[in-house]
Order: sequence, then structure tokens, then C-alpha cells
Amino acid sequence: MNDHDAPIHEKNSHEFPIHETLGDSLAQQGISRRAFLKFCTAMASLMALPPGTATAIAEALVKAKRPSVIWLSFQECTGCTESLTRSYSPTLENMIFNMISLDYHHTLQAASGYGAEKSREDAMKNFFGKYLLVVDGSIPMNNGGVYSTIAGRTNLDLLHEVAKGAAAIIAVGTCASFGGIPNAKPNPTGAVAVSDIIKDKPIINISGCPPIPAVITGVLAHYLTFGGLPELDDLGRPKSFYGETIHDRCYRRPFYDQGKFAKTFDDEGARNGWCLFELGCKGPVTHNACATTKWNGGTSFPIESGHGCLGCSEPHFWDAGSFYSALSMPASPLKYVAGAAVAGAAAGVAVSIGNRIKKGTAKSAHQKATIEDLEK
Amino acid sequence: MTASLDKGISVLKEMIDAPIASYFSSCVHCGLCAEACLFYTETGDPKYTPIHKLEPLRRVYKQEYTLLGRIGKMLGLSKPVSDAELEEWKPLVYDSCTMCGRCSLVCPVGNDIVYMVRKLREGMAISGHAPEGLIGASTRAVEIGSPMGVKLPAVQAQMRHVKADTGIDIPLDAVGAEYMVLMSSMEIINFPEYLGAIAKIMKQAGKSWTLCSEAFEATNSGIQIGVSDIAKVLVQRIVDGAERLKVKTVISPECGHAYTALRWEGPNLVGQPYPFEVLHILEVLDGFRTQGLLKTQGFEEARLTFHDPCQLVRRGGVFDQPRNLLKMVAKDFVEMDDTGKMNWCCGGGGGVSAIEEAVPLRLEAFKVKKTQLEKTGAKTLVTACANCRIVIEEGMEHYKMSIPVVGVTETLAKHLVEGE
Repeated sequence: MNDHDAPIHEKNSHEFPIHETLGDSLAQQGISRRAFLKFCTAMASLMALPPGTATAIAEALVKAKRPSVIWLSFQECTGCTESLTRSYSPTLENMIFNMISLDYHHTLQAASGYGAEKSREDAMKNFFGKYLLVVDGSIPMNNGGVYSTIAGRTNLDLLHEVAKGAAAIIAVGTCASFGGIPNAKPNPTGAVAVSDIIKDKPIINISGCPPIPAVITGVLAHYLTFGGLPELDDLGRPKSFYGETIHDRCYRRPFYDQGKFAKTFDDEGARNGWCLFELGCKGPVTHNACATTKWNGGTSFPIESGHGCLGCSEPHFWDAGSFYSALSMPASPLKYVAGAAVAGAAAGVAVSIGNRIKKGTAKSAHQKATIEDLEK
Repeated sequence: MTASLDKGISVLKEMIDAPIASYFSSCVHCGLCAEACLFYTETGDPKYTPIHKLEPLRRVYKQEYTLLGRIGKMLGLSKPVSDAELEEWKPLVYDSCTMCGRCSLVCPVGNDIVYMVRKLREGMAISGHAPEGLIGASTRAVEIGSPMGVKLPAVQAQMRHVKADTGIDIPLDAVGAEYMVLMSSMEIINFPEYLGAIAKIMKQAGKSWTLCSEAFEATNSGIQIGVSDIAKVLVQRIVDGAERLKVKTVISPECGHAYTALRWEGPNLVGQPYPFEVLHILEVLDGFRTQGLLKTQGFEEARLTFHDPCQLVRRGGVFDQPRNLLKMVAKDFVEMDDTGKMNWCCGGGGGVSAIEEAVPLRLEAFKVKKTQLEKTGAKTLVTACANCRIVIEEGMEHYKMSIPVVGVTETLAKHLVEGE
């Protein structure tokens, strides 16, 4: 399939110093210490770390050797890379590329053909066991994985090979995290997530279609600072970003609590900015940071623009029914819940009446206190 | 009729209301209130954690008003609150709580701990667990008219002294005056300069004012010991006096708890809104200042700092007024650390200064104020509460410090342009 022995670009671009520290790299780029500290503080707060950590992050990052990163793109749409490169926030994404030595990335690298593949192989050899592997896109399994190949090799093959020497794998986007749209029914290519194939490496899922740029920066900063991955939820996502639902942090939540819902996209409720639950918003079951971190340099997020959440950071979001039908409630458990709620409320009322009577009795038993009452 | 446990518990049941229920159920046991309490910070003893001081009240709440608590009580799993327990808690509820409200301010879930201490004291007092000092003060307040036993003749003597000093007649029982001035016994006995200062300022401002022969005393021992019925009697005296003299405004003196009692608790105690306004003297003076009625000359040369009385700044929101006024007459005004609403208590509020057995602890707690003061390098300490003043003077005497303590009103009066 491949002829990697071809003597092209034998001593190629890897002459440039990839062992330099991040501090050197930043200094070369003319990034001031102030801007850098600002970045570290933003990172610390994004990751819900104590404020003092910002300095720790700064110290660790400045000294950190920029780790080699190999980025593999499989069955994907390049939306994740688009998201990462289109950020307006304080040069966060520029910084990513200063923090790491990105040795292989289809979309962003200048080299092509054998040169490109060689650069990947060199990185794998030189930093075996130390490089980070970033994957976006799902991996097709049907028919030997022929549905997506790079340089004539299947994604499956490439993933196995590169994963072997990786320190950790970051699955960027819902496709790499959970299979995503390629995995949607009927899933003709047999697309699966990275975690379905690789079992012996730490994998962190940064889901979302696409994911929020700051999340990947945050995870990288965490990795460089603490030398490990942040705390993950049951789906392998960093808790600091995916710990709460969109609904929990939605600015329209008060309307939900008051039962004020938009019924169509142009009714009065919609114009008043009421809750989009009945229009199919998946915010209540979607764990992501959109409602707080927001998009496009903090401009807004989908609900703020008047559209319900699609739930893109959750597994199988594409198959979870129409984007425009309201979240359904399970029928029979609901009856039990309703029954229990009624019983609970009745008990509450009974206790409350009892308490009121008790307080009332105490009140009516009150004898006016005088100074004689104070001496025992 | 005598004090008894049954009556005390019944009063606690009566006192527990929706705020208290929500406070106890929302306490997250974080312990932040400990760091806010001077009795904890200065002794390091965890029993002085403010929320812990409320344990008997919490137990009554749990056993009487929560399902689990009631079941527990029925099954004998939790013992009812006993006399011995209340007696054990007496030093916590009285001696080591000045009701300064710093704990309420730092509570992350918004529990008003002082509100609960105030209510717990109701049950403590009625069950016979109030300190002797406060019982005595309350008795004198009800029977004689003042917690220190001051009677009208003592006030009249001070009026004569002021007349001799300043040549100004002090109006007594003048119907239709704009302001009715109250005093604390401490001011009548220990700090007579207050009355003279008021006379001078009122004269310059051109305001009509009066003292009232039946209601010259502003303090309220009922609030401190925690007996609403007694507090009501004391507030009612002032209301009756003000109504009889048909005054527009009643002025609470340089005293912290008197202001809380009269302005915030008073209308609830008497059960109806007042037909007059209640202002603290600092609010009145700052009002005069903005209207241009205060003309001063000269400055205090020595470095001044201001001690915010807890009931004024934290429970009452009087913060800017003393600063506005002091800046008129002070060249070198400095703030203490933790000034304003986070100021540390003098250690003698909430009736603590009247409890003899609490003196050693109070002096221990005074260390925080001592540190604050020393850091400023101030040569004079100004405050606006006669009780703070006497407590701070005692504390400084104990620690061999010599910084004079004065009131805002007298400091201002010293610099009035005479003859205008």
C-alpha cells in the first residue's frame, strides 16, 4: 500500500527545535508574560480550579516541554478543526499551537504525501510513549474498514499503530467520542468511537458537534500542568466542562421553572425569550458548557439565538428523535412519581398543619413575661 | 410565677418560625461562621462557633417540627432539651455572643444566625437561664426606668450642667418640637458631653428639640436578655412619650442596640407602625450637613480612626454618615482593617458588657480590636456607641494602652463655629 522507504525528504523539516520549552516558544512569538498569565487565569477558571492554580499553571507551562501531538482525522467533516481555528477569545487557540508541537494534522500541515507521513512516523519514533494522540472522526469497521483510508491505509489500522506509543488519546468531537453522525442509523460503515477500539490507553472525550474550542485548550493546559488528565465523567468527558447540563445553566431556566414556554418559533413566547423545551430543546439532557462558555468569543449560544439545544455532545444525539419534538417523559415511572409526589405533598401538608397547630398552641399558651419570671 | 423549663421550651416552640426552619435546614456545616466570630478567633475554642451556640434551639426545632426528629423523640432516640443543657449553653448564648452579626454576614447560605440567637435567648430567659447581670439590668429598666438605675433627677442635673457650661436651656417636655432626643444611661452618667454637644448643634442648626421626662432612656434590656414582653414595655414608653409630645422624629443616641431595638424591632414589638420617624443621631447630623446647617472650623490634628458599632453599620446600614461627618473636622482620618460592615465588635455588645462573669472572656476577645487599633497608629478613637466606648476603654486599660475614645457628636460640636 505504502512505500515509506522512499528516500524523499530524508532529513526534512524536523530540524526545527521541537524540544524547546513553551516559555521559549512564547517569548519567540512576542507573547507578553501578562497575556500569558491572563490565559492561565482563564484556563484555571474554565476548569473550575482554585484561583491560586493560575500561577501553578503558568509556572508549569513555561517550563513544560512542548509535547508532540499527532492529530488523526478519520470519518469526519473537519468541523472540529474549523471550530478550533475559529476562536475570537484571547488567542486561546493560537496558544494551543504554541503549547504543543503539532507534528501531524491533515488540514493544517504544509507537507503532503510521503513527507507528511514521514513527519508522523518520526514523531512516533522520537517521542514513543510520550506523544499525545488527538483523533477527530469515527472509525468505520464494516468490510475491514475500507470506507475511510489515508495514504491507502484504513483508519482502523492507523489508529492501532499510532495509539500504541501514545501517552493519552484525546477524542475530539462527538464522532471520535461516541461515533457521532457516521454512527447514526443505519450506520452503513459500521462507525464506532475511539474508545470502542482502544482499551489500553487513557482516553478523554471532548464531545460536541463541534466541541467548544476552549475545552480542548483547557484539557491540554491541564495535561501540561499536572501531567495527567482531568477528572472525567462516566462518558469519559472532563467534569469541569461537562459536569452540568445546558438546562442547569441556561439563562432561560427561570421561564422553565415558571412554566412559560414558546409554542412556535414566532409566537409571543418566543419573542419574549421563554423556554424552548416544547420546541424540542434537549438542554435538560445535554451535558456541555455552551450556556456558560458560549460561542464565537462569548457572543451567544444556540438557545440565546432562539433555537433549542440539539444535544450534540451526547451519544446518539442524531437518533434521539426529531430536534423539534419535546423531550418525552417515560410513562409508567411517571405515574409512580406522580403518586409518590401526591403522597409526599399530602404528608407535607399534614406535617405543616401539625406544626402550625403546635406553634399556635405554644403561642396561645404564652403568658406575658415580666421581670419576676426571670428568676428561677 | 417563676421561670421553668416547660415555659422556656414552649416559648422556643412559639419562636421557631419559617426563617428559622429554613436556616436550620439549609446550614451546610461549613464552619465559616467560626472565623467570623471574635470569641472563636481569639480563643481558638470551637465551642464558640456561632451556629453551635444555637444547638438547643436546633434540637427543639428538630424534635418538634421535623418528621424524623419527632420519630426519634418518640422512640427515645433523642433526649429532650434539659435544664442542665440550657445551663451549659448559657455562656455560649449570652457571655460569648455580642449579637454583632458578623457571622450572619459571612454565612454562605444566608442564615441570619443573630436572628436565631435573639430567639433562643427568649427561651433561655423564660426558663431561668439568663445571666444575673442582665436580669438586674432588665429589672432596673422596668422598675426604675433605666438599666443603670438612672432617674429623671440625674438627667435634670445634667441639664443644669449643660446650661452652666454653654448657656443653653435644654427643653424638657416641649410639645410640638421637631426632634425628641433620647440618651443611654451611659451617656447620662459617664459621657455628659453628649447632651451638651446636642444642645450646641441643635442651636446652630436652628432646630426645635426636646427631652421627655417619661422617656429619656433609649436602651432596651429586653432586647438583650431576650424577653420580647419586657422589650415591648420599654419601647412603648418611648412611643407614648413621642406621641404625647407630638414630635416628628425620635433620635436614637450614640448607642448601638438602642437603635436596633427602637428602629428595627420596635414597630414589630408594639404591633403597629410608629406615627413618627426614628433616626440615629449620626443620620440626623449627616442630614444637617447635607442641608448646610453645620458650620465647623479648625481640624483635629491627631490621627483619628473610627470604630463602627455593629448594630449601626452591620444591622443598621449607617456607614457613610460618620465618615462624612469626621472628614469635616479630621485632618488625618484612617480606616481600620476590616472596617465598615466587616468591622470587629468591641466585645461587649448584646448585653455582654453587663455580664460580670463574662469579663475575662470579653477581655480575651478584645485582642482583635487591640490589633486593629494598633495597626492604624491612631491617636484618638472615635465611635458612636457609649457601650462600645466604655468596653473599649476597659479593654485598653487592661492592655495598658492609652488612646482616648470619644463620640462623633461631641467631636463635631467641638469644632462648631460659635455664635452663629
